[in-house]
Amino acid sequence: MSTESGATGVKRRDFLKILGVTSAATVVTGCSTDHVRKLIPYVSNPDNTVPGVSNYFASTCRECATSCGILVETRDGRALKIEGNPNAELNRGALCAKGQSALQGLYNPDRFRQPMARKNGQLTAVTWDDALQMLATKLGEVRSKGQAANAVFINQHEIGSFPAVLDNWLRDYGMPAHISYDADAPASAIAANKAAYGVAWPSLDFDAASLIVSFGADFLDGWGPAVPLQLAWADARGKVEGAPRAIYIGARRSLTGLNADAWIACRPGSELSIIQFLRGTKPVADAAAAADVSVATLEGLKKEIAGARRSLLLAGGNGVDSTQMATEVAEYNKTLGNVGITIKPASPLGIYERLDVSAAVFNAADRMNAGAVPLLFVRGANPVHTLPRSVKFAEGLAKVGFKVSFTNVPDETTELADLVLPDHHSLESWGDAEPTANTLHLQQPAMEPVFSTRATADVLIAVARMDTALASKYTMTDYRSWLASRFPGGQAAQMLALPKGVASASSLRATDRAAGDLGRKPSAAFAGAGDFHLVINPSPTLGTGAGANKPWLVELPDPVSKIAWQSWVEMHPMACKKLGLMRGDLVTIETSAGKVTLPVYNYLGIRPDTIAVSLGLGHKSQSNRKFDADGDRKVPFYSGYGRYAEGVGINAVDLVSGDTDALSGAIAYTSMKAKVTRTGENIDLITTEGSARQHSRGIGQASTLAALVAARTKKEGAPGATEGAATTQHDANAAEGGHELGPKEWGGNEHAFVGGAPTEFLPGLKSPVANDAQGDLGTQDSKDKGMYSEKHWSGMAKRRWAMTVDLSRCTGCSACVTACYSENNIPTVGATWQGRALSPTVWDTRPGANIIKGREMAWIRLERYFEGAEDSENVFDPGFDTRFVPMMCQHCGNAPCEPVCPVYATYHSPDGLNVQVYNRCVGTRYCSNNCPYKVRYYNWFGYGEPGRRQYAFPEPMQMQLNPDVTVRGKGVMEKCTFCVQRIREAETRADLEQRPLQADEFTTACAQACPSKAITFGDAADPTWTVARQVEDERAYHVFEVLNTYTAVVYLKKINHTVEA
Amino acid sequence: MATTAKPVQGKIKRPNIPSAGIQVPAVSSFEQVDDEILATLKPSSKWFMGLGLAIAAMLVGASAWTYQIYWGLGNAGYVPPVMWGVYIITFVFWVGIGHAGTLISAILYLFRAGFRTTIYRASEAMTVFAVMTAGLFPIIHIGRPWKFFLLIPYPNWRLLFPQFKSPLLWDVFAISTYLTISTTFLYLGLIPDFAVMRDKETNPIRKRIFAMLSLGWKNTDREWRHFAKMYMFLAAFSTPLVLSVHSVVSFDFAMALTPGWHTTIFPPYFVGGAIFSGFAMVWTILIPIRKWWNLEHYVTLNHLDATAKVVLFTSIMVGSGYLSEFFIAWFSGVAPEQEYFWNRVFGQWWWAGWILLLCNMIFPLSLFSQKLRRNPTWLFILSIIINIGMWYERFVIVVPSLSHEFEPWQWTHYTPSWIDMCFLVGSFGWFFMWFLLFIKQMPVIAIAEVKEIVPPKMKNDHGGHH
Amino acid sequence: MQGVLAVFPQLDAVCDAIRDLKARKVPKVTVYSPTIHHEIDDAIDAPTSVVRVFTLIGASLGVTFGYWVSIWSSQYWPLQVGGKAIASWIPYTIMGFEMFVMVGCLSTVAGMFINAQIPRLVTNFGYDARFTHGDYGIWIETTPDKFAELEATLKSHGAVEVRGER
Repeated sequence: MSTESGATGVKRRDFLKILGVTSAATVVTGCSTDHVRKLIPYVSNPDNTVPGVSNYFASTCRECATSCGILVETRDGRALKIEGNPNAELNRGALCAKGQSALQGLYNPDRFRQPMARKNGQLTAVTWDDALQMLATKLGEVRSKGQAANAVFINQHEIGSFPAVLDNWLRDYGMPAHISYDADAPASAIAANKAAYGVAWPSLDFDAASLIVSFGADFLDGWGPAVPLQLAWADARGKVEGAPRAIYIGARRSLTGLNADAWIACRPGSELSIIQFLRGTKPVADAAAAADVSVATLEGLKKEIAGARRSLLLAGGNGVDSTQMATEVAEYNKTLGNVGITIKPASPLGIYERLDVSAAVFNAADRMNAGAVPLLFVRGANPVHTLPRSVKFAEGLAKVGFKVSFTNVPDETTELADLVLPDHHSLESWGDAEPTANTLHLQQPAMEPVFSTRATADVLIAVARMDTALASKYTMTDYRSWLASRFPGGQAAQMLALPKGVASASSLRATDRAAGDLGRKPSAAFAGAGDFHLVINPSPTLGTGAGANKPWLVELPDPVSKIAWQSWVEMHPMACKKLGLMRGDLVTIETSAGKVTLPVYNYLGIRPDTIAVSLGLGHKSQSNRKFDADGDRKVPFYSGYGRYAEGVGINAVDLVSGDTDALSGAIAYTSMKAKVTRTGENIDLITTEGSARQHSRGIGQASTLAALVAARTKKEGAPGATEGAATTQHDANAAEGGHELGPKEWGGNEHAFVGGAPTEFLPGLKSPVANDAQGDLGTQDSKDKGMYSEKHWSGMAKRRWAMTVDLSRCTGCSACVTACYSENNIPTVGATWQGRALSPTVWDTRPGANIIKGREMAWIRLERYFEGAEDSENVFDPGFDTRFVPMMCQHCGNAPCEPVCPVYATYHSPDGLNVQVYNRCVGTRYCSNNCPYKVRYYNWFGYGEPGRRQYAFPEPMQMQLNPDVTVRGKGVMEKCTFCVQRIREAETRADLEQRPLQADEFTTACAQACPSKAITFGDAADPTWTVARQVEDERAYHVFEVLNTYTAVVYLKKINHTVEA
Repeated sequence: MATTAKPVQGKIKRPNIPSAGIQVPAVSSFEQVDDEILATLKPSSKWFMGLGLAIAAMLVGASAWTYQIYWGLGNAGYVPPVMWGVYIITFVFWVGIGHAGTLISAILYLFRAGFRTTIYRASEAMTVFAVMTAGLFPIIHIGRPWKFFLLIPYPNWRLLFPQFKSPLLWDVFAISTYLTISTTFLYLGLIPDFAVMRDKETNPIRKRIFAMLSLGWKNTDREWRHFAKMYMFLAAFSTPLVLSVHSVVSFDFAMALTPGWHTTIFPPYFVGGAIFSGFAMVWTILIPIRKWWNLEHYVTLNHLDATAKVVLFTSIMVGSGYLSEFFIAWFSGVAPEQEYFWNRVFGQWWWAGWILLLCNMIFPLSLFSQKLRRNPTWLFILSIIINIGMWYERFVIVVPSLSHEFEPWQWTHYTPSWIDMCFLVGSFGWFFMWFLLFIKQMPVIAIAEVKEIVPPKMKNDHGGHH
Repeated sequence: MQGVLAVFPQLDAVCDAIRDLKARKVPKVTVYSPTIHHEIDDAIDAPTSVVRVFTLIGASLGVTFGYWVSIWSSQYWPLQVGGKAIASWIPYTIMGFEMFVMVGCLSTVAGMFINAQIPRLVTNFGYDARFTHGDYGIWIETTPDKFAELEATLKSHGAVEVRGER
């Protein structure tokens, strides 16, 4: 499904070529939201549409400026799923959680459904004609009054032709170029890159490095181009031997830090002295003192860098002096000769081209407050939410003559606007992006607009054409035709390029704005009083707040803290002990800027003298102005940022002083002191984490190169691959002091399989082929095997679907979780209206109420286990190890869940799947009780039943539901199916084409999306599939092997790179 | 019907169970038996109050069920992976209660235990109603009650039958068999008494009804002959049921690989516990009855003393079960197992664990003193304590195991919610509603059987009364 | 239907009467007693009840059905669960046992009904309410011409009341 199209059964590439020829037709006739509302099939099919078979549209992701290539799966004219576009070199088919959640932006129930204008204080629905007229007249006024030069246009930073088009349009009206604003951008790094390498973002080659040192550069937490960086990292780390060792320097161990082999826990802001010491400009003693780490550590670091064959030093950070630090790091890279090898300014990424510094917005805010701004446009950006209160942006807005918003969902900024001209969602609009030099990612609509919205570019053109002075200049009918006209080769060429989604061309370049003065205030060393350093970091999934109206992202537990639907403050157990704080105790955090109240999450990975808070939540309506509910809105209107964000968490920006980095003008998030006072209250942490420790049960196992090598030498002479793999594990564990493998601890004998299967295992995969693990079916004299017989016409029994998860690749980013949600119609259960009844009439309306009761539905969950730092309450030990384990149904050969089901609702399919039959299930939940992996999920409420208060797909979100997958009713057990719908589709297609299934011709949603390529799926009984080789890997192991479940999921051990290695 | 042995020709052997002189000295003639026992059938205000209370409680449960069927199970206190909670606990509790009745009416019957004669009818009725209560809970507990029929092997066009390897299906069979048999047993025992009531009744309509219920029983020799044989066989069938039903229920747990469940000691230990709690419930029921309906000279202190000995024995049995579980956990060296048992007494669930140990192991030891064994008040209090303890035993078995399984990431906690409690209350309401209705319609003491031990009139009288 | 009905207050009286009647080879004698008395069994000395035959047949049918339904249904539609044998007879023993008990019991009851000739619609003939209360009785189905003789015999053994019914 993901690597092939369903339409005619040809490989996707060819199919998309065909599709391309008529994609225009398809776009116009194929996708009509009117059609999808009816359940009757087309009377006459639009071209390339076969009811029940998906079409794929190549497009470009606009959730961040990276602009990954995407494939949008559509069925009967509605977009169902977003996957990475394998043709795009940038992201090679992978896509992050944010990108996949674009669908929930498209189908967001709170989206504006038509233009709105403020009439007597209320935003009221108006027609497009009136709206455009209003805009035109306003523009006319401003221009005639000669105030045009004071207008401000703030656009969510994006790359491609649009910024240039916008600037031209503004210039035509005599208005200054727009401010391209991105609250999530790593400003210090960008400034440093420009200073040192002359480009905003050089491409980084982790693979060439043997040592990676990150000075607070959270390249796995959304710092810079997330997906490309994660792919590079995983590829480097994936090659076990010669994989780079990684060291993280910072006060808080972020997701990146947790993935690094070592953590130097320096004081916030002291990274500068460390790099200065490394460059020899600061004596080690001073550096050590400043960073509060031992001299030995620093010396060791220096020695390692010196000794490294090839190193890569990255610098991030959001402190007042981060830019200086980053620049010095860049200089040091030059000294070490890394430039051109691990850092390639010659092949830059487009992601941060023409990005403006936050200071630009500050200045605009000042002018607004001065009443000097007659007209303000905002598109996508939400400065009211993301800017520090001291900037007074909201107050400034009030003083602006006329405010126009092009944003298509209500947010804090837009609700203050006078005119709302909702933009198309990126999946409904045309566009382009140039993520790497001379590579154009094309953006095309995947479906007709869900609501009555218009692409901003088209609005600009339309307004200009209404203007007599400009009409002559704007001959093009709309943005699409303009794009086509400037595409090399014109419309025809564009048509041919669209299906691939990638072309070698370049977008229209915009010229950078003059930055203006940087830093509104002289940056104090550490603003505010208080005994704790405060570190504020953008959330890896929610960024600085954009994700908060998408339930997939809000329900996705934070990769580090595993908390969802809630804001929290991270404190080290020692600090907690000192203040007598328990997990979940509410504390008030006070800085010079403001105070918030948060529950405590005691986290090993933060310095005892530091606390950390994530951005992203805390959306609230500035002015509780309600909009009038328009005609077809059947739902109550939610001001602020929509129903999913309302009342969830706090906004950490309230704590930000507003100091900026003097060199880059970036907001300083990590240079504050905070006072922490306990409130005495305690609330439930909304977390999916039971115990953060494995209790030596060998779930996430790790090893070292040395151990592997030792094992290999032993392996000589060992008979079978199975034997070998087994031995390997145990030696590896022995090498680690044997605290690893469960079996040993459990007193089980891990060599002999008690009650092993009657016939031989597949080599490596310590799990029998489905049909011969199975009691008398395995023996020769057994009677009718039915479908379980090799000879059965279906041939199902010849296959054994299996999966491997490479823990040395997995970074815990959780993109697989979101992929699973969108592929399998998994309901989100944390919204405020989905809680349970506390009494016959009173409902639990806390956000995440169901998750407090452990009722999240994620079929695949990312477990995050800590090893070491046992006595964290009394000792600060940065040397702990983290294991990320994606845990999904293991499809056991001898599944404990099956025999206990009284109604055959779950049984074993001949091709090795553990099948769940929803309409047979009566909901005894015995299967879950008997599942050692606890991967079965139960529908406590009618999440899939429209009209129930717990309904998880409010209109129009139900349009996203995958027609191939049942929406489960209440009282039914569900679990990972290995994407059985994809398996059957592929098999059927192969049959239709009278050919055997080819190796790796399709894969599951999680494996497809994984930006680390850690998951491999396939037929382990057929040696041509990759998975069949993977399961023989020396690092292979099964979770809870002693239970004789013969799992079909094989994990490959994580490899920790020690200094020697 | 206590005597089925064919006596030796010539010299008459007395029935080898203690005669009325020893058992119920205060009862001298058949007439007295009829009058005194039938006297208990007159409705009293106390009874109406009790019945009202029971019905109210039952309605609480009923409305909770409608609510739950509409909204789904989410309102109950489940915290995955604790997928079983109060419903299953209460189910096991009530099945357990049932066992005492069958034990008394069947096993003690075969063993010729004299003290069963006057208490067996009440406890048998208790069995039937307890099983009726228990039978509801599997249906309450499942997510889609309206699909319950899928568990029954009914002929369907696809010929897709239930999965006979599942302990839950064994439950379905065990419980339905148990209910059928105990109901039959109770009813057949009642037939001769119905005949008595028929002949005593003056109201024509009631007379008619009793006539029908008595199936036209006439006390002929031929009736008695076959009846005795049949009764003996029913007892013989019920005896293994007493052991099997709760063993099957224990398989629900023992067959799973969950730590704390996966153990072979469960069947005997469940049966022991069942009889233990059952006898306690017999006290809870009989002690008030004998007091309020002046049946002290039928259910005498000797009877209570005898039952107390059974309770003491089963309590020790259960207690040693607990202890051996701890030993095995330690001996097995299986970490998850050990952690579970540590949790049970010192960890997360220490409080539940200690309630269980105190109520089921410690307090019953008081029964070593004959004084207390013959003290109805103490026995009544103890019976309540034991019932609580046994409910908690099931709690300790079900919840802590699930909350602390193999997968540490999924370790959790559990607290019953308001709706769970509604069902608990409702179950008691339902049970007592039936029981109270029973004791006012049918003799709570088996008339015909008591007559059997009362010495009959003789022409040339030796020791018989006139 | 005609006969003589005698009511005895005492147990040994009725026993003597029974023995006497047996000695005289009087046919169609029915004895009533409020409860079981070995003295009466002994006096009548009837053959053992045949109910046990019903029990045997029922129980064996039951156990067979229990095993059969589970084994046949799993064989008919073979589905793999947890690597267990398709038809695993050991767990199916439970079905066998439960059906054994259930059918066994019910057939025993049926046997009793058939042999004891209940349910019976008419109870008023050759019967006296005292028999369920405290007294014993003998009912001899016979022709009026024998009434006098029988009455004398029964009286001689201590019948408090003898009445002929016709």
